[in-house]
Amino acid sequence: MGGWSGRGGNGDTERNWGGGKVKRMGEEERRWGRGGEREEDPIVRWWGPMGWGRGRGSYGLRSWRWGTVAVAVEGISWLNMAEREIGSPGSSMHGVTGKEQSFAFSAATDQTVPIDSTAQFALPVDSEHKATVFKIYSFANPHMRAFHLSWISFFTCFVSTFAAAPLVPIIRDNLNLTKRDIGNAGIASVSGSIFSRLVMGAACDLLGPRYGCAFLIMLSAPTVFCMSFVSSAGGYVAVRFMIGFSLATFVSCQFWMSTMFNGKIIGLVNGTAAGWGNMGGGATQLLMPLLYEGIRRAGAAPFTAWRIAFFVPGWMHVIMGLLVLGLGQDLPDGNLGTLQKKGDVPKDKFSKVLWYAITNYRTWIFVLLYGMSLGVELTTDNVIAEYFFDRFDLNLHTAGTIAATFGMANIVSRPAGGLMSDMAARRFGMRGRLWNLWILQTLGGVFCICLGRANTLPLAVTSMILFSIGAQAACGATFGIIPFISRRSLGVISGLTGAGGNFGSGLTQLLFFTSSKYSTATGLTLMGIMIVACTMPVALVHFPQWGSMFLPPSERWSEEYYYGKEWNKEEKERGLHQGSLKFAENSRSERGRRVVAVTTTPDSMPASA
Amino acid sequence: MAIQGSFVASILFSYLVAACYGATFSSLQNTLVVTASPHAGQVLKAGEDNITVTWSLNTTFPAGTDSDYKTVKVKLCYAPISQQDRAWRKTVDELKKDKTCLHKIVDKPYSPSTNTFTWTVQKDVPTAIYFIRAYVHNSADKEVAFGQTTDSHKATNLFEVQAISGRHVSLDIASVCFSAFSVVALFGFFFLEKRKAKASQKS
Repeated sequence: MGGWSGRGGNGDTERNWGGGKVKRMGEEERRWGRGGEREEDPIVRWWGPMGWGRGRGSYGLRSWRWGTVAVAVEGISWLNMAEREIGSPGSSMHGVTGKEQSFAFSAATDQTVPIDSTAQFALPVDSEHKATVFKIYSFANPHMRAFHLSWISFFTCFVSTFAAAPLVPIIRDNLNLTKRDIGNAGIASVSGSIFSRLVMGAACDLLGPRYGCAFLIMLSAPTVFCMSFVSSAGGYVAVRFMIGFSLATFVSCQFWMSTMFNGKIIGLVNGTAAGWGNMGGGATQLLMPLLYEGIRRAGAAPFTAWRIAFFVPGWMHVIMGLLVLGLGQDLPDGNLGTLQKKGDVPKDKFSKVLWYAITNYRTWIFVLLYGMSLGVELTTDNVIAEYFFDRFDLNLHTAGTIAATFGMANIVSRPAGGLMSDMAARRFGMRGRLWNLWILQTLGGVFCICLGRANTLPLAVTSMILFSIGAQAACGATFGIIPFISRRSLGVISGLTGAGGNFGSGLTQLLFFTSSKYSTATGLTLMGIMIVACTMPVALVHFPQWGSMFLPPSERWSEEYYYGKEWNKEEKERGLHQGSLKFAENSRSERGRRVVAVTTTPDSMPASA
Repeated sequence: MAIQGSFVASILFSYLVAACYGATFSSLQNTLVVTASPHAGQVLKAGEDNITVTWSLNTTFPAGTDSDYKTVKVKLCYAPISQQDRAWRKTVDELKKDKTCLHKIVDKPYSPSTNTFTWTVQKDVPTAIYFIRAYVHNSADKEVAFGQTTDSHKATNLFEVQAISGRHVSLDIASVCFSAFSVVALFGFFFLEKRKAKASQKS
């Protein structure tokens, strides 16, 4: 009989979708590779004539397709990242929901997501009441509402952080700025969030993501309104620095998503939220010149009109803050303050988590790499409108429109990068992901060089669009690999990578767009060369169990051994590494089509004779 | 590659165009005598103070020099010190690309006798050091001659303009009000919810 047998609380829940066991796509590929062992394939059941709409199937189908993306792009939330299964070290909200579920560790590879059938939510939820499907067009409380609130808040902060960029031609005359001042302000705008993102993680743990987001967005609203007071270069730099703090909503956004959405789809959800938020950097290039034009035509002097235009992002901050407070909730079951249930989840030691993050050389390579994808994206958000205004003699409105297409490409290119990473992994495993990242990011660099060298407008616009697709897809592809670097320290590594992105932005602005030694065009060319050069270290990233760009995997290493290495003997004896072992098993999909029947004891490398 | 080919072709084409149509500053004759009311070092306030520009043909030139002069365009131009570290005001010989003189004062039809014009410094003129230059255009609207208030090195007889700040008291007040609202609303919500949580815990 189909239906759900039992729900959370004991270890033995299995979802029975009309009789078949539902597997992850990666699993499926593996099984098909094995000769003869053709188990009943639930996917065929789903997509077959009888499969559609079976039971609660219709949305399950979508979650399957996107589940493959989720396999790769799993989770970008900050400190909370380690939790994938409830009860594992570092679980969300310190076990606030109180619904613990223990999974007996087994060599079986099924990835059942037990659905809580008694829950009264608009979307199907798991035993933690996190949604297991992602319905973009829904605003249902609490899951999808939280999604829309958090990505729009993040979008708003991007709008206000880069709001000055398209107006620089006016601001530089009003405040008598030099190129150095403009460059310093650009650097300041991305530097502030390096620190605020670190603080935000702690704030989300203490206050919940709803208050973390609302606090940041409403306390940075005054900094946006402060633009009306600015009358010198120093003031301009200071205000842009303070507005830049608001980019930490990235952390609250991702954190909130991981309290609301199940680990199987968290990758897609987080990637979409991040990509759509980043779009704000593009939207602002369109919005601010439009506002400026309108206000100027209404009769204001140019040097006053741009100040008035800044009120709009400020109001957006306040409105989004109020909406988040009024409509949002921290957890599917309610708000943190009213739901103080404490579970006895063993929480991991931060010092250990930090140690395993910083001693893994891959972390630092990705810090550099993300600086060359997200970093250059932020830098370009800051300089591109002014570049088109000056180099091609366009008016502010047109320059802004062109610059906007750069940031707006994020709506598809970032998720697409993650998707391409998944597709490459299905065939070639982790090696495919690494090659995919290298190709995308290097192409981005090449088109950046073309953008700097382009002398005509059509060529420049084309190069810019191709550059944006390359860089943003590389961002998505980066977070398709990061979840596999470490299981224990994923949160810290994600945070460090994010900070590396901002740092890369500050560095490229400092090197290429602040001094008058070379023109902006030359700066773009040099930045492109730097991207190509600094993307080469991808070749150094080697996963012993999966290989790297040029080296094959070593047969002696298993996923269990790699992830088990992060725990010492004592911790293993206490069973703290169970989550890592489960993850290791699931990560076997990163072997690609190379199917290996593996039964390894978790604690040791399989001895080779 | 096709892109490189079209790249080279477009560069060649633009050079051709420049050679055919683009006038260069170095090819212009300094045939106008231009004077302006601000004396050297004077500071003018944008939006308030006036500049009176006077120009006429320099009679030392042979008759007939002005045979194709049609219009005179008088502009406010940046002195070299205000162009430092500001590539958007760069002086380039090709006049189409030259950004020295970005602020228009007046366009008037040419007449060899003395012309004057009084101009109120506009509100969008930035704080900088300036001089005044008048370009003479022929009937094809191409520059053929010029005159300026300073010497050929652009070092003498420069004056300063003090821009408006763009700030207004009303803007400042509005800014403070909205900021205060934001902070108060946030903490109000926070404490209200805390109190509600405490109340529901007690009951």
